[in-house]
Amino acid sequence: MNRLRRAAILAAAGAALLAAAVGGAAADASDLHRALMAIPLAAEDRILASFELGLRQDGFPADDLLRLIERLAAAPGAAAEKEALLLTLSRALEDGLPIDALLGKAFEGLARGVPLTVIDRGLSQRRTLLVEVRDLLYAKGVFGAPAGAAAVASALPILRFHALVSNIADALGDYLEGGGSPLEGHLLYREVRDRLTMLRGVTLVASDVDLVLPRIEPGDLTRIALAAFTG
Amino acid sequence: MRQDELERTLRDALCREVEATAARLTGLEDRVIADLGDRAPRLGVYGWLRRLLAPSPGARWAQAAILGATAAVFLIVGFWIGAERAPSDPADLRAASRFTAASAPVNDERVLFVLPALNAKSVSVVGSFSDWEAVPLADEDGDGIWTARLPLPPGRYEYAFVIDGRWWGQDPLADGYVKSFGEYSSVRYVGGGGDGA
Repeated sequence: MNRLRRAAILAAAGAALLAAAVGGAAADASDLHRALMAIPLAAEDRILASFELGLRQDGFPADDLLRLIERLAAAPGAAAEKEALLLTLSRALEDGLPIDALLGKAFEGLARGVPLTVIDRGLSQRRTLLVEVRDLLYAKGVFGAPAGAAAVASALPILRFHALVSNIADALGDYLEGGGSPLEGHLLYREVRDRLTMLRGVTLVASDVDLVLPRIEPGDLTRIALAAFTG
Repeated sequence: MRQDELERTLRDALCREVEATAARLTGLEDRVIADLGDRAPRLGVYGWLRRLLAPSPGARWAQAAILGATAAVFLIVGFWIGAERAPSDPADLRAASRFTAASAPVNDERVLFVLPALNAKSVSVVGSFSDWEAVPLADEDGDGIWTARLPLPPGRYEYAFVIDGRWWGQDPLADGYVKSFGEYSSVRYVGGGGDGA
């Protein structure tokens, strides 16, 4: 009996080590909270709650977010400016949006030494684009369905839906940031079409691109671009 | 042959046979025991476990060694699984993004980044594949052509070179360019229509 108990303890210790090693690879809520403590925040609860919301998303980029918080904490700038940037990410997460592209933009801005207020302005515009593109796809009958949900042809798995939203919004954001006019619907459409076509069958599922592109009109994109300018 | 001679002959033959057999049986028990003693006992997995866990003082070090080795194996396997789930190398992190995971192929390509910079002291590449952290290029033969091969999964990447601390966004080998925060970045598509270099 004593030996059996020892064997059980050995197995349990092994399993615990295995779980710790596997689990240690991905950041969790406590890691994010710990990192946030390095920045004096007035709305820490709201920010943390939104991050916990994000952690429930499939494939949430928790490690990237953790690294961004750490870099933000080490970056020069007022705490209020850092908090504003974090709140922009929070708003995106509260809306259930994918934040990969926002994180990438923030990393780039910090690496370039761009003032935090300018980074936040860029992120806010990109967040508006994400919202508008998501709503456009909804209006066109293209949805993201949670895993296991009964799906119609235009209800895509949520990761694939988010990939479409993120890439369309990013293409529009790049066009606008490059000085393109929001009124040039056909140019906006060309940017989106080129981006999706280049990634068709690469990081975007070909049938998803074929589903979405014919449903989007240049006029839809003009409306979205104008919303990003005014939002 | 007479009857009595035949009986005597048969009796003698039987006696010789019995004596010969008896000689072969002498010490049989000892030989069997000795033979069995030479064979190593087959313990099996459970037997080995019982032996290792037995509370004998001599087995303490062996138990500790086995325990340590088992823990190391679990840790190695765990870290390996963890690394498969979420790689920690900055160059691979963007690569492991969920959008890439949503696509069909996730075979890393070693993408070549090349920049001629004749008098540069250091050249690196920063981009969305490394969360915009610098990855150094090398010029081993000193000819002013700086190169790096990075393992990147299929996708779209924005990047710029940094020459002696100065950003240089327009790679002549790029698939395209975007303006970001007022500066140019290069764009490379990996695994798709345009692979650049």
